[in-house]
Amino acid sequence: MLKRVWAITQKEFITTFRDRGTLAIILLMPLVQLTLFAYGVRTDVKHIPMVVADQSLDRASRAYIDDLVQSGYFDVVQSVPDQAGVVSLIDQGKAKLGVVIPNDFSGQVDRHTASILFLVDGSDPFTTQSAYNAANLIAQQHSVQLVLEELSRLGSTSSGFSLVPLTAQIRILYNPDLKDLWFFVPGMIAMLLQIQAIILTALAVVREREAGTIEQVLVTPIRPGELMLGKTLPYLLLAIINLVSIILLGTVGFGVPFRGDFVLFFWLVLLYIISGLGLGLLISSISQNQQQAQQLAMMTMLLGLIISGFVFPHYSMPIVLRGISYIFPLTAFIPIARGIFMKGIGLPFLTNQVLFLVVYDVVILIIAARLFRQTLD
Amino acid sequence: MYRNRLRVLALIQKETSQLLRDVRNLMYMIGLPILELFLFAYAVSLTVYHLPMAVADQSQDQRSREFVRALVNSQYFDFTLTAQDEAQVREAIDAGKVKAGIVIPPDFSTKIENGNASALILLDGSDSFSVQSGYSAAAMIAQDYGLDLALEKAERTGGQQASAVEGSSRPITNSFRVLYNPDFRDLWFVLPAILGMIVQMAAVAQAALVVVREREIGTMEQILATPTRPLELLLGKMVPLLVLCYVILGIILGLGVLWFGVEFQGSINLYLCLALPFILASLGLGFLISTVAKNQRQAQQLSTVVMLFSMLLSGLVYPRNSMPLIPRLIGSFLPLTYFIRISRGIILKGVGMSALWPDVLMLVVYSVVVMAVASLNFKKRLD
Repeated sequence: MLKRVWAITQKEFITTFRDRGTLAIILLMPLVQLTLFAYGVRTDVKHIPMVVADQSLDRASRAYIDDLVQSGYFDVVQSVPDQAGVVSLIDQGKAKLGVVIPNDFSGQVDRHTASILFLVDGSDPFTTQSAYNAANLIAQQHSVQLVLEELSRLGSTSSGFSLVPLTAQIRILYNPDLKDLWFFVPGMIAMLLQIQAIILTALAVVREREAGTIEQVLVTPIRPGELMLGKTLPYLLLAIINLVSIILLGTVGFGVPFRGDFVLFFWLVLLYIISGLGLGLLISSISQNQQQAQQLAMMTMLLGLIISGFVFPHYSMPIVLRGISYIFPLTAFIPIARGIFMKGIGLPFLTNQVLFLVVYDVVILIIAARLFRQTLD
Repeated sequence: MYRNRLRVLALIQKETSQLLRDVRNLMYMIGLPILELFLFAYAVSLTVYHLPMAVADQSQDQRSREFVRALVNSQYFDFTLTAQDEAQVREAIDAGKVKAGIVIPPDFSTKIENGNASALILLDGSDSFSVQSGYSAAAMIAQDYGLDLALEKAERTGGQQASAVEGSSRPITNSFRVLYNPDFRDLWFVLPAILGMIVQMAAVAQAALVVVREREIGTMEQILATPTRPLELLLGKMVPLLVLCYVILGIILGLGVLWFGVEFQGSINLYLCLALPFILASLGLGFLISTVAKNQRQAQQLSTVVMLFSMLLSGLVYPRNSMPLIPRLIGSFLPLTYFIRISRGIILKGVGMSALWPDVLMLVVYSVVVMAVASLNFKKRLD
């Protein structure tokens, strides 16, 4: 049996390695993608273009705008006379945030009746969110500062009481400087490996069927299971090469710290890659031609990307969707990757995910083998 | 000329019947985008509320409970776990059970009286979304609560003078108006972009296969034996796919408006017109892939790359103006990058050509150039 599997493996190796173009794509693409995405994706948006309609132009209004600008979140791109001007600039896409400060701002602040209107461009989700959060926080800080100044002026007689009795310390674990790279590299590794694994095997069977060579293989004494195994092994090797190069690039190249146990991570990734290869084989056995296989593979990748928790947080999805998301092994692997990479946690914290992957591997390979045999008959 | 047109028509006919005959394929082509839309629509949440939070309240007094309640009432945090101390909170975050934690030291009330209370808020920094919304929410709530306490105290100690301040506690009220999407609905943010993404994906994936598949099966030779010219061949293959893309666009747009209730602000006619250069550009990109790729496998890998780039670099999820030069440059080779702005502009903002013409121009130029390069490439490969 081993001999037969080995023969198939050899044959797959030869076909894969002869096709230099494809091989180059397989080995280099993940690295290129990791580099581009790692540098391209910025979640914390700074220097958001802001338009100001300051109708007071007094000390209070200028102090207010200074606070917004000094935060580094906003750049004043233009000053306009009124709200209509602000809306028109946002319509044209020249500004993402607008501030409208009414007449007699100083006086209103003294009387505690001032109100400021922020207009946010709601068509660009990330910028909107950052602009909204930052403006909200800065505006509040400014107003708290004003109250405290006022209090200290009034309460100057009662000396020695500290102004704000409560300080909240906010500590961000694992990534204290909020580096985007640190956030993204673990998830990105998980995603790229999944995509690689699915792509590698999705066409493996269907291509031979379309080319007609599967008949030739079938007349040999090779059994379906052996054929499948033989077809998977070379790709497993390629996937491991991908894995090592991606991790090296992420840690050594980009300086993302690897806090956990590398050996543990390696074994779990292996488990994970097998699930991806299995999923690819499954797609390959149910597809009639390469076109269908490609469409299914693309969809699997895209959906995995969306609902696995890589881009959007998993816990805020509806429960049904969270259930569906476990069709994709990526969903179980993202907590593993982030956990070992960033948090440095070990197996005891990850038992559920690891068990899930083991079961997933076994089930998907059995189903793929069944379907594979069926399509052969 | 007449004969040319006849040849193209014959090709279109051939491609159309090929497309329609394979029912399963067709089902995939139209069904998958719909599935994508639904999953996307329900998966995307950009403002994160209800972060699961562990609470280690070592005081258990009125003030500490008040503070925790302020955090929970904000809707940003859900009190899901009770812990004893910081170590336990930390462990819960390590295990991924909660995304945030708060540690309130003993004697909180007394310390507040003395003016030196402090609370520790921990956030899971391995999840960028949780950190982003968690951080600003926690900072604001703590600040607000601190100010309330300060005012309360001032009223007690400062007597009449300070009660004037207390009267209308805040000197400035900030109101926010989110233009185009006043209720902050996540789907409104993403639908216009997702629409483009789905259509581009269908166009690129289909077009990427047409030439290379025919070459792999060997039927290319037969077509080449006819007097058809390369450009005509591309045209014949393009028209049925163009129709297919419009069908997908129509279905997604219909679902978005009727099912998901997105309000279409602008002119629908303009939208359908401007979708034409976008679809042509996407098909062109697919053809280019098809002429470059040696076999279907390579074509698939290249179109996967296009898909990934579109997802991450086109401005669909992550903002483009904060990207470094090279990723931004790569993004500008994707038709989607331009169409996202057009789509958001028309659907959400309701703007017209005057605000959109630079992107429209880019798409027109893009589609002409990419088609020209693809057919040149194609001709070269045939010889």
